[in-house]
Amino acid sequence: MGGTTLKYGGLKLIFLLFAVFALLPVLYTYLTALNGFESPGVLFSYQSFVLLFKSLIISFFVASLSTFFGIIFGFFLYKTQIKYALFFKVGFLLPLLISPYILAVSWSDTVFLLRGTGEPVSPVVLTVLVLTFIYTPLSVLIVGNAFSNIDTSLEESGLLMTSPYKVVFKIVLPLVKPAILASFILVFIFSVSEYSVPSYYGVKVITTEIFTRFSAFYNHSDAIMQSSVLLVVSVLLLVAEGKYLSDAPFLSVGSKGDVRKRYYFDKIKRVALTFITFWFLLTVVIPLIILIFQSLKNGMPDLWKAVELLRNTVITSLEVSFAGALLIFVTGFAAAYYVVYAKGGKRIKKLFNVTMLFLFALPSTVLGISFIVFYNRPVFDLIYSGMAIVVIGYWAKFSFISFKILENSMKQIPVSFDEAAIIEGVPAYKRIFNILTPLILPAVFAAFIFAFIFSFGELGTTITVHPPGTGLLPVKVFTVMANASQSLTSSMVLLEFSVSLILVVVLYLFYVILSEKYGNIRNKP
Amino acid sequence: METSAINLENIFYGYGKTEVIKDLTLTINKNETTCILGSSGSGKTTLLRIISGLEIIRKGTVMINGKKVAENGKNLVSPDKRGLGFIFQDLALWPHFTVYKNIAFGLKVRKEKDVEEKVNGIAEVFGLTAQLKKYPSQLSGGQKQLVAIARSLVLQPEILLMDEPLANLDVKIKHGILEHIVRLKSDFNLTVVYVTHDHREAFSIADQVVVINNGRVEESGTVEQIKNSNNDYVKFFLEY
Repeated sequence: MGGTTLKYGGLKLIFLLFAVFALLPVLYTYLTALNGFESPGVLFSYQSFVLLFKSLIISFFVASLSTFFGIIFGFFLYKTQIKYALFFKVGFLLPLLISPYILAVSWSDTVFLLRGTGEPVSPVVLTVLVLTFIYTPLSVLIVGNAFSNIDTSLEESGLLMTSPYKVVFKIVLPLVKPAILASFILVFIFSVSEYSVPSYYGVKVITTEIFTRFSAFYNHSDAIMQSSVLLVVSVLLLVAEGKYLSDAPFLSVGSKGDVRKRYYFDKIKRVALTFITFWFLLTVVIPLIILIFQSLKNGMPDLWKAVELLRNTVITSLEVSFAGALLIFVTGFAAAYYVVYAKGGKRIKKLFNVTMLFLFALPSTVLGISFIVFYNRPVFDLIYSGMAIVVIGYWAKFSFISFKILENSMKQIPVSFDEAAIIEGVPAYKRIFNILTPLILPAVFAAFIFAFIFSFGELGTTITVHPPGTGLLPVKVFTVMANASQSLTSSMVLLEFSVSLILVVVLYLFYVILSEKYGNIRNKP
Repeated sequence: METSAINLENIFYGYGKTEVIKDLTLTINKNETTCILGSSGSGKTTLLRIISGLEIIRKGTVMINGKKVAENGKNLVSPDKRGLGFIFQDLALWPHFTVYKNIAFGLKVRKEKDVEEKVNGIAEVFGLTAQLKKYPSQLSGGQKQLVAIARSLVLQPEILLMDEPLANLDVKIKHGILEHIVRLKSDFNLTVVYVTHDHREAFSIADQVVVINNGRVEESGTVEQIKNSNNDYVKFFLEY
């Protein structure tokens, strides 16, 4: 056979490396924890049930609220002729691109300013609210893209029979049901795994308890076993994933352009625009303004102090996040390519999916503990004592996101484009770089930028595995702010937010240059 | 001298427990237009994909120009080395490439000389010179069709496989392109294998017609032989 036929050996090798470096430590740790588990009472104690219940309830509310708002905003932004839709679509993404604890700090500032020293807002309510603000953009993205990918003829045939309102409720919403479920499950997984926001607000949940148990008592068996209940939840989600998520239009980047059906709902358009503007002000503008106000209220000294404190950590964090994002992207691309293009291999494809989702669903602190338990031995010194352990942490945690974005995008490109090139004798690497990549460039960009930004702001795994004495931005900010003044905390957070924003802008410019180089991508199908 | 371009012997193809092609044997003659006629799901597209090497057979032998290219679960010769062109049902024009780049890409990949000359030459044959800088989305249905054929023929294949390429065109344009195909066959010394479900289309260009049903050959012969066939399925199929 010539060079045109990809044997997928390279792709399988990438995945094998992922399984060895990322999955094996987790499986090993669970097995050893089971062996050395000395206090089974911890699993069935009242305190454990309360923690689990709290984690699940918080995640349930966050997932429900985010998905509910995701449906509403997704519909108005993607399916109606609402004013400034593009501005809001981009603006809504901002909370998703910054670390959760940054928003936690800015909301804490906001509440402090609004209420002064009065009765404090319940930390649990604040956690739910902040996590909802953070994850609603994810829901908007998932559900909104599903709205825009609906076959127009299905809606138009409905419109010939009944009113637009009925078409929306009886045809459009049922058609995006898989996306709604996908949104709920993903936000649930993100929330249940979230460490920084509950930790900042002092809310005891499973992830914070696991971290405490490990860092204070160095009892990894108890910590890991306590997380096993969450593992059961993850397995249940895996089952749901098999049924609903695998074909859901999860994070499809790029759309059919303007061929989608739009609705005119003139009577409620103004109300919708007001609500969307209010939400945007509430979740993006106000926290940012207050963050800026808080950091500058004592003049510039705190800001300079923050620069001084964080200066050395920014470059290291960027390097580590870039390495992580590169691994995440390559693994996601390889897995997606195999799943979409390889013939047969159903079980291997399932394995790709399940492994990545499992690691994604695992609470970040558990992932960190597993890596410490596994890599803390002389043979892995190179990994354990350097930044490699952090990079592997990011790799394990976020490959699923990259995989799903790219898989969905690849599925939208007709296989015949690849086959036509095979017939012409185009080698596999040229088919990937010259045919496939330009056609899915927005998804390639999105997969990389999400990987980069998520890694850059990741705290749960990073704070658990980072080698002592090494400075990483989120860890530094999080540890310093425990004893810092409100304005210094805000200054540090503002700096981190600025770095994230600059990163996004630079990557976006890179994307624009690439898309120019690759030709007119607007002519994609 | 070898007179057959393609020989399929006792071909079996399927996925899982589903058999799509069942013990199919067929000979396609050189420099003729053979139309594979059948209803949806009869296995006619699969047959083209087997010939091209895009699908791997479970059992049987595929020979092209006397050379064994696939046998019992193995592709012995890769699709690009079989000397054929393939026009897909959706045409598969790369949307981010201009017409020029669509036609030139295969030549460049094969490191052929005089790429520009060859592209301009084939564009002239198909009346596409004015469209070379355009993107596929800027072309009419008929023009896209011609670009797809030009893209295949510029690589000088001996065999052209066409999978219902005219399905979405109006009658007038369809007739124009069918005439073009007949002319091309003799001009380029081509063997054409043309898949369609429309017997009128098949009868207008075919030297040989093969009617397939449920993964098996029901009948094959000249247009006249098929028209006068006593086979119940063929008679039923030609009624519509």
